[in-house]
Amino acid sequence: MNLDKNWAILKDFVGKAVHHIEAKRNAQVEAFYTSTTKTEVTIRNGDILTQNLMDDSGVGFRVATSKGKVGFACTNAMEEKAVRVAAEKAYDASKTSSEIENFAFAGRRKLPSVAGLFDKRVNEVTVEDAVDIARRAMIAAEDVDKRVIAKDGHVIFQSRWRGIHNTSGVDFEERESKCILYLVGSGKQNCEVTPGCSDSVFSRSSKLTPEKVGRNVGKMVIEMLKPKPLKSFEGTAIFSPEAVSYQPVHVLIDALKASSVMAGRSPWTKEVGNLVASSNLTIIDNSTLSGGFSSRSFDDEGSSSRATVLVDRGRLRSFLHDTTSANTLKAENTANASRSAGGFDLVKMIIGSGYRAKPEIYPSNLLIEGGRKCKEELTSELQNGVLVESMSGFPQAGSGLVSAQLSRAFYVKNGQIEHPIKNGMISGNAFDWFRQISQVGNDAKQFSSSVVPSLQVEQVKMVGL
Amino acid sequence: MSRILEECLQTTVASEADLVQLRRQSRTITTCTVRNGIVEDFSSMSLRGVGIRTLVDSKSWGFSSTNIIDSESLRNALKISLKLAKASANARNEEIHLEPAKARVADVSATGKRPPLKMSPDEIAEIPLEAYRGANEVKQVVDVKATYVSIEDDKYFLDSEEVQIHQKTNRVQLFVDVIAKENGQMCPASENIGHTGGLEIFDTVPPFHLGRSVAQDAARLLKAKAPPSGKFQVVIHPTLCATLLHEAIGHPLEADLAMTGGGFGERIGQLVSSKLITIYDDGRVKNGLGYLPFDDEGVESKRTVLIEKGVLESFMHDRTSAALSGSTPSGNSHAWDYSVEPLIRQTNIGIEEGDYSEEEMLEEVKEGIFLEGTFGGQADSNADFTFGFQKAQSIKHGELGEEFRGANVAGNAVDVFKTVDAVGKEAVLRPGACGKYQFAVQGRIVPSIRCEILVGGSGG
Repeated sequence: MNLDKNWAILKDFVGKAVHHIEAKRNAQVEAFYTSTTKTEVTIRNGDILTQNLMDDSGVGFRVATSKGKVGFACTNAMEEKAVRVAAEKAYDASKTSSEIENFAFAGRRKLPSVAGLFDKRVNEVTVEDAVDIARRAMIAAEDVDKRVIAKDGHVIFQSRWRGIHNTSGVDFEERESKCILYLVGSGKQNCEVTPGCSDSVFSRSSKLTPEKVGRNVGKMVIEMLKPKPLKSFEGTAIFSPEAVSYQPVHVLIDALKASSVMAGRSPWTKEVGNLVASSNLTIIDNSTLSGGFSSRSFDDEGSSSRATVLVDRGRLRSFLHDTTSANTLKAENTANASRSAGGFDLVKMIIGSGYRAKPEIYPSNLLIEGGRKCKEELTSELQNGVLVESMSGFPQAGSGLVSAQLSRAFYVKNGQIEHPIKNGMISGNAFDWFRQISQVGNDAKQFSSSVVPSLQVEQVKMVGL
Repeated sequence: MSRILEECLQTTVASEADLVQLRRQSRTITTCTVRNGIVEDFSSMSLRGVGIRTLVDSKSWGFSSTNIIDSESLRNALKISLKLAKASANARNEEIHLEPAKARVADVSATGKRPPLKMSPDEIAEIPLEAYRGANEVKQVVDVKATYVSIEDDKYFLDSEEVQIHQKTNRVQLFVDVIAKENGQMCPASENIGHTGGLEIFDTVPPFHLGRSVAQDAARLLKAKAPPSGKFQVVIHPTLCATLLHEAIGHPLEADLAMTGGGFGERIGQLVSSKLITIYDDGRVKNGLGYLPFDDEGVESKRTVLIEKGVLESFMHDRTSAALSGSTPSGNSHAWDYSVEPLIRQTNIGIEEGDYSEEEMLEEVKEGIFLEGTFGGQADSNADFTFGFQKAQSIKHGELGEEFRGANVAGNAVDVFKTVDAVGKEAVLRPGACGKYQFAVQGRIVPSIRCEILVGGSGG
């Protein structure tokens, strides 16, 4: 198949280019390279809009001089000369860069065996199969009620080779599959249209669950009909896994990255060993999680994967590190170098991810340890508060300030859901919320780089009309 | 124009499709990031490839892309594109009868007076370094990140309707992000400038001044309280109005989102906002980051009036949405790069200027808030939106008062734009970006406006 052929060709070109720079320029070299094939089916307005297939291969070189000046260049041209030229450009770019103290490439270590990274059945999935999955999800959603329309979504099957080769002895490669089903539905009643209600599956396995996702979406849409405005009040909020995975996780990641510590922008900079959150909160980064969507046996600079306890019952234990930050802060490398870091950075969006990007610190699977009760039990015990299923709006970097629109939320009184909320916002500081977590759900859900349950938080400010 | 693409169009495989669209692109991205005085990163990206889109049976599109540009790979990608299109042709409900395109050959270039390629790496590095030096003059600043980005595109579009377009563009941007810290309080501020053209943009806005101004904002806001919460009359500065326009009105006016129902979906000809509001999209605005003379279906850009004096006139269309709704394509079909298929996107969206100076707008406010600067936002197809502002000031009896830190505002575009009772007389061109399914850089041409909006502050 094309993917394996492209991979073999690229690997040969990369090996030669690394050797060329090492020999001619007396510099340290690292090449991160991938070959990807991705089939995607797109849903729009209750119909299959299009389907596409992308074949892409490329390599990104980092070249470091003996003084720690680092340059980067990448190419997707599959020619030996073009690959060598990209390596040369990385060397040239290093001349303009400043010296970076403690810079290092990853050294060779034994890799753990991580199960469930590649489902070979993904190679047998045809575009007809992907269309069928999309249609089944749409039908399941629209079968829930005639007011539901599956308005948006996609099905993705991706197969990728990922490799890292450096002059410190690292030469690893790994095969991986990623399969995604994402569906958004909305509904209309009396000229009022609900916000988009979505469900998703992020999986390594090609066995997606379209009927389940479709039914969930249809049910969510119906629940959002006849919303009522909210009056401002302070009370308890139950954040569902989807709500947790967005703003709160983003604030957590920003505080936990060693790069934030080095830049002086993490409020937890001097808090290792101290209580920074409720004792109900335990956070682990685990890149060895079996079948985890962001699991891997080595990170994107070649460090060996591991599980790291970051917050243990509220007490900060570690930050997320790559090789250079671990050297700088004299900490253990947690193997969190990533070339597909999320977040709201426009420059990253312009550049793209994978071989197009330099590694930066980012979680693999950021796990919040689950509690004992499901979201429904937590809700049934709530006297006066809001169940937040999803929020929109970006949190403020560094400070942790969140003021988000309640895009799918419900007012809860005496254990009963009273009504969906229209025109509501939620406001506060996520670092305060982490201290005010009173209960943790047992309903953890996998997202692209987190596995998180519901969180019940006290004293949250709800903003209404 | 591009022999390899022309050959691909002449294959028998191509004749199986109703329409074949080929896009070949070479892109060079140069970035230089300076963090706290250190040139942390100087990068050069060379990307190229071909995207092939086919329409079959008047029903279904298929798309395939490859980064290997030779005859065999292109033929293979074309076959895959056809296969993909056929895969859902039977399953699709609606037929797509495209208006035939006029045969056309065009060659356009917008590379600027000082193209990035003519600058040395050291000269480029000086740009973010200057921004850092400016920010570093402010003592409370603890973290400064300044990033220079240039995107140099060379694009060919050829289709089976004899349209051949060659476009060369350069886009240059500078991003400055600052964190100030004092007594345990932290406050971010950011700003970016950008245009279609070369490095001459930095003659107008010197990077040093940009860095210092962002840092001064962050430092000053350290002492500011959180804004109050609730519904307020607000005056929205162009730096924030750009986000409001893009998120709140722009997205719901994109035909693919509008046609999902809700928002503006079924309201053509109806009064959907204040009569003071006229909104347009124009891909021909030179220097706008959304300057795109031809879109990625080969359609020439134009000025499309979307809302005129409050009345909904039209949506932004690609050829498919235009065919499905009996409209004309508006040149709004754009793909971020060759590897993704085009979608309906804004180019340079604008609000026509009104009669008010900013002072006049403030004068008439008894109690309200002045909102400025953006932290980005999101919108739903039902016209619900939320976006962040960086700073605010109370307005009491026409006078600006206490300064507040940033937070988010939210609302429904249809409701909020009905409350607009003043539009500023000076529109400014702002850089913008969008993440609708795929990334895009765009322009916004916006004055200040006055309206009512829900503010999600945590203050009293």
